[in-house]
Amino acid sequence: MRSTDLNHITKKRLRAWGAPLAMALTLVPALTSCHESPQYSNDAYGNFDALWDIVDQRYCFFSDKGIDWDSVGRQYRARIKPETNILELFDICAGMLDELHDGHVNLTSSFNTSYYRKWWSDYAQDFNLRTVQQYYLDFDYGSTSGITYKMLLPDSIGYMYYPSFSYNIGETNLDYILAILHKAKGMVIDIRDNGGGALTNISTLVSRFIDKKVTGGYILHKTGPGHDDFSKPYAVEYEPAEQGRIVYWGPIVLLTNRSCFSAANDFTSVMKSLPNVVVAGAKTGGGGGLPFSSEIPNGWAVRFSACPILDADKKSIEGGIEPTRGCEVHAPEEELAQGKDAIIDFALDLLRAYIDQTEGEGAKKKAFNPDYGRTPQ
Amino acid sequence: MRPRRRIFDKTASFAALLAILLSSLTAFRTYAGDNTASVIADTLQSRPVTSTYAIEIGGRHALSTYLSPLSYRGWNAALTGDWRKAMPSCPDHLLMHFNACASLSRMLNPYGNALMIGFDAAFNWGMSWRHVFKSKLQVEAGADVGIDGGALYLLRNGNNPVSALASAGLALRAGISRPFRIGRLPIVVSDHVRLPSLNAFFSPQYGETYYEIYLGNHSGLAHCGWWGNNFRIDNLLAVDLDFGRTAMRVGYRFNAYTSWVCNLNTHIFTHSFVIGIIPGGLGLKKRLPKAPNRTIYAIY
Repeated sequence: MRSTDLNHITKKRLRAWGAPLAMALTLVPALTSCHESPQYSNDAYGNFDALWDIVDQRYCFFSDKGIDWDSVGRQYRARIKPETNILELFDICAGMLDELHDGHVNLTSSFNTSYYRKWWSDYAQDFNLRTVQQYYLDFDYGSTSGITYKMLLPDSIGYMYYPSFSYNIGETNLDYILAILHKAKGMVIDIRDNGGGALTNISTLVSRFIDKKVTGGYILHKTGPGHDDFSKPYAVEYEPAEQGRIVYWGPIVLLTNRSCFSAANDFTSVMKSLPNVVVAGAKTGGGGGLPFSSEIPNGWAVRFSACPILDADKKSIEGGIEPTRGCEVHAPEEELAQGKDAIIDFALDLLRAYIDQTEGEGAKKKAFNPDYGRTPQ
Repeated sequence: MRPRRRIFDKTASFAALLAILLSSLTAFRTYAGDNTASVIADTLQSRPVTSTYAIEIGGRHALSTYLSPLSYRGWNAALTGDWRKAMPSCPDHLLMHFNACASLSRMLNPYGNALMIGFDAAFNWGMSWRHVFKSKLQVEAGADVGIDGGALYLLRNGNNPVSALASAGLALRAGISRPFRIGRLPIVVSDHVRLPSLNAFFSPQYGETYYEIYLGNHSGLAHCGWWGNNFRIDNLLAVDLDFGRTAMRVGYRFNAYTSWVCNLNTHIFTHSFVIGIIPGGLGLKKRLPKAPNRTIYAIY
C-alpha cells in the first residue's frame, strides 16, 4: 500500500474519532459551568450582600422567630454609603445580625467580633462561683475534667459543678468522681454559667445517669436554601454507660441559670426528660441550633445557627428551657454576697425531703419529683 | 457502644477494600513480573510492565459551598504511579492498567486569612483496547473501575470544617500516543484522558453536620453520579524520553472535579507539572533481544 493511501485511511479514521471527541470537548465547559456560584465584589456592598445571602440561605430560625429577613436586609443595606469604611461596615453588618436575637451568631474580623449579648445580659445572673466555693464547698473539693465535686455532709448529697462543655470529660475521670460520690443519696449537678461546648460531652455525662437507652431529643438540618427547607427530625439517642463504668441512678437536681447556653441548654433538655431528674433555678439561655461557619470576601468569618435541635417532645429549645414545674428559683445578688445561694438551698431541701421520705423503703421505689417536702399549691 | 461499632465496621470495610486493592496490585505486579522475567518459550513474546512513578506539582483552585462561598487557591503536590501491560489473550490490542495517586494541597481564601488543606487518594484498574496505525500512531479506548477519597479541610470552620469527597465507579478512558525521535533520542508523546462517568459518591445534605452523621443518620449520603451532577475529567499530556535502561516522563496534567448535589457546589481544578521515571525504559533504544524475539509494550 502506498503512503498516500495510508495517510488517507489515517485521516478518515481520525475524522471518525475526531467528531465525537470535538463534541465531548465542547460539552466539557458547558457541563462544568452549569452551577456557577454567585460572585461578590470585595467592597461594602459586595460584602454586605454576601453576608445577607449566607444567612438568608443557611440560617435555621427565620420562621420560628418570625423574622422578615428581606426587610432587615433592605433596612441595613440602605445605611451603606460609597464612603462607608470597614469599621462602619462592621457595625452595620453586626447590627443586621443582631436582629436574629441569637447568641450563636457572630461576625469576626481582625479588629472585632460581634456578639448578641441580650440573651443573658437582660437577666439576673443567679450565680456566684465564689459563694459556692466558699460557703457550700468550704474551699475543700476535688476537681478533674473541669468538674468540681464534693460529697456534702451530713446529708450525703453529691455536688458536681461543670462550668463548660468545652472541658472534655474523660470516662476514667468520671469513674473517679462517681466512685467518690456513688454513696450519695441525692446528687446536685450545677451547670450555671455553662456557656456550652462540645455536644459529645453530653452523651458521656448523660450515659452515667440512665439505665436504658433514651431518646433525649431530635436534630434536623436544612435541605436547601429556602427558609423552611428542613429534613425530618432525627432522634438523638443516649446509651447507658458500658458495663464496668460507675453510674448514678439516684435522684438528681440540675441547677441552671440564664447563662446556660448551647450544649448546656441541650444537656438540660436531655436531663429534664429523665424521670429521676428535676431542673431547678432559672430558665436557660437557649442556643438550640448547631452553628455553621462561613465567610465573606473581605475575610470576615460569620457563624450562625444552622441545625435546629429539638427536645424529646420535638419542641424547639432555641428560646431556652424552663425549670421543672414549681422549681423556678432565683438567687438574688445580695443573698449571694452574704453567702446564701437560694438555688442550691432549694435543691438540697428537695433532696433531703426525698431522702427522708424514701429512707428505708428503697430509693428506686418512688419516683423523684419536685413535690417532696412541700405543700402542694 | 453502637456508634463505635459502626465506626469500627466502616474502618473494617475500608481496610478490607484497601487490602483487596493492594492485593490486586501485588497480583498485578507478580503476574507481570513472571512475564517479564521468564520468557514464554513457545510464543517468544515478552510483555513487560511499563511502570511510571511521578511527582506532580502545580496549582489548585477549590470551591466547596458546604464550607465557604469563596474559592481557595494554592499549591498541590501529588505522587502517582501508573502500571500498564499488554494482556496475554490479545497482546497487540488489549491493555491492562492500574493507577494510584495521593495528593496534598494547601490553599488560601482570596483575602489570605483562612487556610484550606486538601488531601485525597485514588486507585483505579481497567482495560483498554488499542489500535496502532502503520504511522505508529496508537489510539486507545477503554474503561476502568476505581475508588477515590479525600477531603477539603477548612481550618477556620467550627461544626462544618470538612468537605469529604469519596466515590467509587466506572470511568471511560481514551488515549493517543506516538513515538518520535529527537536526534538519536527516542521519545513517546502521549495524551490520556480519563472521564469518570457513572459512580456512587458521598455528599452530606445541604446543611447537615458530620455530628448528625456520627449520630447515625446515614440517609441521603450516597448519590448516583454522572456527568450532569459529578463531572470530572483528568487529562495527562506527557512526553517520555527513553534513555535505554530508564526513561523519564515530563508532562502536564489537568484535573477537574465538579459536583452539584443537595444544592452544594464543589469545584476543584488542578494544573500540575509532571516529572517521573519509567524504570526499565520504553524499549525504543535498539537492543539485541535476549530470548524473546518480540517485546510488546503497552505504552506505544
